Amino acid sequence: MFGLQSSGAAASWVVGRMGTDAHLYDDPDDASIPALLDSRFDADKVDALKRLLALIAQGVDVAHLFPQVVKNVASQSLEVKKLVYLYLLHYADKRQNEALLSVNIFQKDLSDINPLVRAWALRTMAGIRLHVVAPLVLVAVKKCARDPSAYVRKCAAYALCKLCDLLPDQAMALEEIVDILFGDNSPGVVGAAALAFKTVCPSCLALVSKHFRKLCETLPDIEEWTQIILIEILLRYVIARHGFVKDSLLSAEIQGINDSDPVASMPTQHDSAGNGFCGTISNIMLFRHYIEEFSGFPDGEGDSLRLSSVTTSGNNDVAILLKCTSPLLWSRNSGVILAAASVHWIMAPIGDVKRIIGPVLFTLRSSPDAAHVMLGNILVFAKTMPLLFAPFYEEFFINASDPYQTRALKLEILTTIATEPSIQAIFEEFQDYIKDPDRKFVADTVAAIALCAQKLPSIATTCLEGLLALVFYESSMSNSGHFDGEDAVLVQAIMSIKAIVKVNPVSYEKVIVRLVRSVDKIKEPVARCLIIWIFGEYNFMGNLIPKIVPAVLKYLAWTFTADVVETKLQILNASAKVIMHCPEEHMEEFKRIVAYVIELATYDLNYDVRDRARLLSRLLPCYTTHLGPSHHPPNGDICKELAYHIFDGKLQPSSPSTNNYRIYLPGSLSQAVLHAAPGYTPLPKPQSMELSHNKIIEPTRSNNSVAESGSSIYESSSVYDSESEGDGLSDRGTDASLHHQDNQDVPLVHIYDTSIQKGQTGQNAEENFADLISTDLTELMSKSALESWLAEAPADTLVQNSLQASSARVAFTNHSFERKPKLHTLLDSSDSNGLRVLYAFSSEVSPRSRILVCVDLYLENVTTQQLTDIAIKSEEASSGVDSIGQTSEGSVSVPTIVPVEGIHSLAPQQTEKMVLEVHFHHHLLPLKLSVLCNGKIHPAKLHPDIAYFVRPLPMDLNAFLCKENQLRGMFEYARRSVKIHLVQYDHLDKLEHSDKNLQVAHSVASKILGNTNVHLVSMDMPVTFNVDDTSGLCWRFSSEIPSTSKPCLITILAEGHASGPLDLTVKVNSEDTVFALNLLNRVVAIIE
Amino acid sequence: MLQCIFILSDSGEVIVEKQMVGHRVDRAICGWFWDYVLANAAGDPSKILQVVVSPTHYLFQIYRNGVTFLACTQVEMPPLMAIEFLSRVADVLTDYLGDLNEDIIKDNFVIVYQILDEMMDNGFPLTTEPNILKELIAPPNIVNKMLNVVTGKSSTLGSKLPDAAASFVPWRTTVVKDASNEVYVNIVEELDACVNREGVLVKCEAYGEIQVNCSLPGVPELTMSFANPTIMNDFTFHPCVRFRPWESDQVLSFVPPDGQFKLMSYRVKKLKKTPIYVKPQLTSDSGNCRVSVMVGIRNDPGKPIDSITVQFQLPPLIVSADLTANYGTVDILADKTCLWTIGQIPKDKAPALSGNLRLEEGLAQLHTMPTFQVKFKIMGVALSGLQIDKLDVKNTPSAPYKGFRAQTQAGKYEVRS
Repeated sequence: MFGLQSSGAAASWVVGRMGTDAHLYDDPDDASIPALLDSRFDADKVDALKRLLALIAQGVDVAHLFPQVVKNVASQSLEVKKLVYLYLLHYADKRQNEALLSVNIFQKDLSDINPLVRAWALRTMAGIRLHVVAPLVLVAVKKCARDPSAYVRKCAAYALCKLCDLLPDQAMALEEIVDILFGDNSPGVVGAAALAFKTVCPSCLALVSKHFRKLCETLPDIEEWTQIILIEILLRYVIARHGFVKDSLLSAEIQGINDSDPVASMPTQHDSAGNGFCGTISNIMLFRHYIEEFSGFPDGEGDSLRLSSVTTSGNNDVAILLKCTSPLLWSRNSGVILAAASVHWIMAPIGDVKRIIGPVLFTLRSSPDAAHVMLGNILVFAKTMPLLFAPFYEEFFINASDPYQTRALKLEILTTIATEPSIQAIFEEFQDYIKDPDRKFVADTVAAIALCAQKLPSIATTCLEGLLALVFYESSMSNSGHFDGEDAVLVQAIMSIKAIVKVNPVSYEKVIVRLVRSVDKIKEPVARCLIIWIFGEYNFMGNLIPKIVPAVLKYLAWTFTADVVETKLQILNASAKVIMHCPEEHMEEFKRIVAYVIELATYDLNYDVRDRARLLSRLLPCYTTHLGPSHHPPNGDICKELAYHIFDGKLQPSSPSTNNYRIYLPGSLSQAVLHAAPGYTPLPKPQSMELSHNKIIEPTRSNNSVAESGSSIYESSSVYDSESEGDGLSDRGTDASLHHQDNQDVPLVHIYDTSIQKGQTGQNAEENFADLISTDLTELMSKSALESWLAEAPADTLVQNSLQASSARVAFTNHSFERKPKLHTLLDSSDSNGLRVLYAFSSEVSPRSRILVCVDLYLENVTTQQLTDIAIKSEEASSGVDSIGQTSEGSVSVPTIVPVEGIHSLAPQQTEKMVLEVHFHHHLLPLKLSVLCNGKIHPAKLHPDIAYFVRPLPMDLNAFLCKENQLRGMFEYARRSVKIHLVQYDHLDKLEHSDKNLQVAHSVASKILGNTNVHLVSMDMPVTFNVDDTSGLCWRFSSEIPSTSKPCLITILAEGHASGPLDLTVKVNSEDTVFALNLLNRVVAIIE
Repeated sequence: MLQCIFILSDSGEVIVEKQMVGHRVDRAICGWFWDYVLANAAGDPSKILQVVVSPTHYLFQIYRNGVTFLACTQVEMPPLMAIEFLSRVADVLTDYLGDLNEDIIKDNFVIVYQILDEMMDNGFPLTTEPNILKELIAPPNIVNKMLNVVTGKSSTLGSKLPDAAASFVPWRTTVVKDASNEVYVNIVEELDACVNREGVLVKCEAYGEIQVNCSLPGVPELTMSFANPTIMNDFTFHPCVRFRPWESDQVLSFVPPDGQFKLMSYRVKKLKKTPIYVKPQLTSDSGNCRVSVMVGIRNDPGKPIDSITVQFQLPPLIVSADLTANYGTVDILADKTCLWTIGQIPKDKAPALSGNLRLEEGLAQLHTMPTFQVKFKIMGVALSGLQIDKLDVKNTPSAPYKGFRAQTQAGKYEVRS
């Protein structure tokens, strides 16, 4: 329409209509976009590009216009350029080849006089992420890093981030540029350099040391977003360089812990209250959670390091870091405040930590959107040092507008920080909440009241009064049966009473009596059960309770038939408890009642009730039969003893599981979602940095850097040889013997065809293979490959090449590849008095549960003495329960480790095999185990191997392709240009090229099949004229995730030459994308 | 790093999709998100948390005026960075477009795309200062100047600002054109209060912002001091404020950005007085609930109290509500909210709302009590008592005009019944 008019009119249109592009958004298709794109006038092009942008916004795929759009990149108009860039960045990864056309223009723009044009060109050129251009971009970045304009230099830093995964082998060059940018004198550039550092080389903390002082001084001047990043880098640097501060939160209190029991996670009583400790999270726990290296050790070792690697607050670097971050507590950005606060939390002397409280609490009001994330962090702070927050309890009062989750957090914090002076106000506040319309929140409040009362016994009586009143009120309300959630409040109220009463039942007997007397008014089964339990449990205590027992017992017997199953069971239990403590004068009466109840129960419809009745009548014959006490059954005493243990066993005081907190670094995403997000890196090991080298290679370091890509464990554990190096030669001998199969030549390929027998040698198979191709080419060729091949190859070469050009799909049977278990060390002999434990993942499927993974353990005694009582246990309920939300769901009932029988004794030099069924809570994080041996406990870490978290899912190629098509888009992950150098076979050159391809095909397939638990669906052989061109070689593997039964498909495509480095593209399709991403990383690691 | 940003309408429709990194996020995630909103908050995104874990991505979302800003990531990143960034985007768009709603975003989608592209690069915030953004992308009303204006940090900047000052005050446009040589300071306070069921004032505090509208030529140096700085408990500052003078003398020293900005925010805790009282009373028996709410002035702030409204959610299980007021208007809104608009309190009578709620059959008493949310506005006074002592402007060719204002409005002002 308008766009098709002449340029003069178009110009006036621009003036008149540019204010709103509404019509473009509403009807982007009402003009011919290709025609507009080819127009001579910039205004037309702008119009067309805006229409394209509108279509992109609406989710229409307009990638087909890519060639026409790209050529407009040469336009002189900045507006056209910008719009083309927007389009280009959106589609470049889909249309790589066409995107290449734009590179020349970028090159030219990079030397434009306008810095904005230079910056845009650099941003876009790096943003299109083409491997081919990456070296060019690197050159451009090098140049732009010295550009006169600060804006361009800043963009150069951003471009570095985009380059780092394209040019993994150029890490040194990238680091050099980061170094240059760190030295820049414009704060904006320094900030961007911090970002580049974090992306490119987060572990090269040595690079920071050179600039440390300057970075600290620039910190307040850089942009707020980069402040968040730089603060984190500086913190990691200081810890790696100097360790923790002696009197800081994490290192303080050392004496206290060392004197007391080594189970450090229990809060100790003599924590110096003056410091604000006495929280349920001890600083030792924090230390363990913050630093990955020590999360595995239950005691001892972490502490010794905590003790040794400390510095003083007088340390210059620490002091300057604290000084430079403290004004940032006044930032307007809540992210900066939290980042600065975590520096002080971790590094500041314990007396100075309180300065973060005010600013952190203020963000709850000043950045309402950040409030929930902030509260999650405050909760950890408060649980560690409740006294710091105690005076600020009013901050956590609930507002009517708070969503439920925020309310729950605030309640938990209030419960944590309640003290004698503040409890009155908090309790009054709680009473107001009882009337809130959100009943779930009310139930939580009632639970919180009980927790407060347990913590501060002085208010227990008041609480009980309130709770009783609530119970009576609710029981009258809930009978009218109007509301959802009302029952939950009632049940919670009774549970709270139960919890408070438990501490000292005798002194609260009036409460118990009143509660029990209300049982006839309460209809809710769960509530009835609870009250009947309380009645049974305390029936003989105090003076008042025994007086009501006969009446209540009669009432229960009377209502028995009308009650539900659970209540019936509770009535039976309560009857048994009553009769066991029954005073003489009531004996006869009670016996009759109980006998009546049991008789009723014996004929109940429900078999659980009948079973319980039978159990009772056998256990308590002397009580339940009408025969006098003289008529003792033969083993009456034993029964009595047994009954006593069953019904009268003292309740285990359920200690709050202090270990169960999920603690991550403050301000991290992991802390907000309460599981380790991919890429989460704990703090480096204190004082792990050595300044003597320029490049430091250290275990911590490499772990951290790899963790960044989400596969920390693999790198360190997959290289078995390097791990066992320290143990010397004898080690290798045993390893070899541990392998059940030796590495022998196995058949290379089995053609999946009935005419050919399985089990032929590789040589035979290849011959047959060639036959097959020549005779039955069309059948074997995948259709698409054939078509693409036909399209490229001239007709006359078809015949000539048909013999050697093969695009055959060959089904290699899975069995033709040897699965050689890779052994990892679980426990080294030097750590454990001579017991060495190695483990390997096996491909067997656990019979118990689909979530369990089978691990073969090889226990070996390397000493000369007998080792006894060897057992493996998990550190149950340990802090390592870092399960990702979806994996933990539905798996709650599955134990971490299926208990296995221990080995009674192990003779010297003897090796035992053990199969362990393990439920890993997380794909990447190690599982903490303790190995018991000779009565000692040795901590060990079992590193999961995601490749064995799947199991083979047999399917044919069509099913595979069909499934793959369903799992496109967000379910697909690909990693391009995975380079591998195949082992150069000496005889490779002599082989025919098809043999080489076979070699390659086999080597990759065996790598995958040997290291992962997948099914090989197909292998496409390349169509080629070139002798060792492997392009087109394609492997497909299928597997499924057992816990969810979701398929997980792996496709590998090759490019390059069989003799040279191969360029592989690995793709994983799965609905569980987090899993897929991790699996992809693993597969890439395996291939490399 | 953020992989993409979506802007969603009130009905869950994707208005804008901006991919930030090479690996694209399918917009199917928005469908998942909206299902989540429907399931967990009955379609109201303001009621769900800012961080949501989906099966495929970690989502960050903020909600403004019916528009949801949604961002995705798959890797560890500071969540507050994402949340603050999204709210910055919302602020910048509001500033650019004058308002923020679905239609305005659609009408200006090209600008929105350009702003998003400039604000974020490779999933990380790039340029977020409104002053610089306005140089790079002209606001819609002067779009016809676009081609001339879009020169951004052109090479001429350096020559005008030696000492590389440009990059040290990134919030300030270096060439302020048409400066009218004025500076206005506006103290806007919000009074948060909580009155419990016994009528006791549990908590009362003022949250204040100092908003400055500055139109000064050159690179002016401003110094502002307060008569009573010690009453402030907490504060945050705009990046332009220098920390040292504040630390030593509690003086704000800064080079302001051009135009409107928030210089600082602060909080004054433990106030003792509220300007008005609201006394709700609900008594219920035999299926009826009598409601009576009284409103009046308690501590006269010396200025008229405007736009008083009292709002509360009707309790559940109500069959009918019959509420009338002797002054102002009473509306029952669609979401069962009762809104009593009073305006100013008249001199001759005390406003009172009264009426009857009929409970559902079989229900004798109300078991939950509503919380009354009170709104009001007082022009010309900062209830916390904060006073600006003086404002010095240096480095300008002539003495500028200085204006001061103050106002207080109700923030989270809640009265429980």
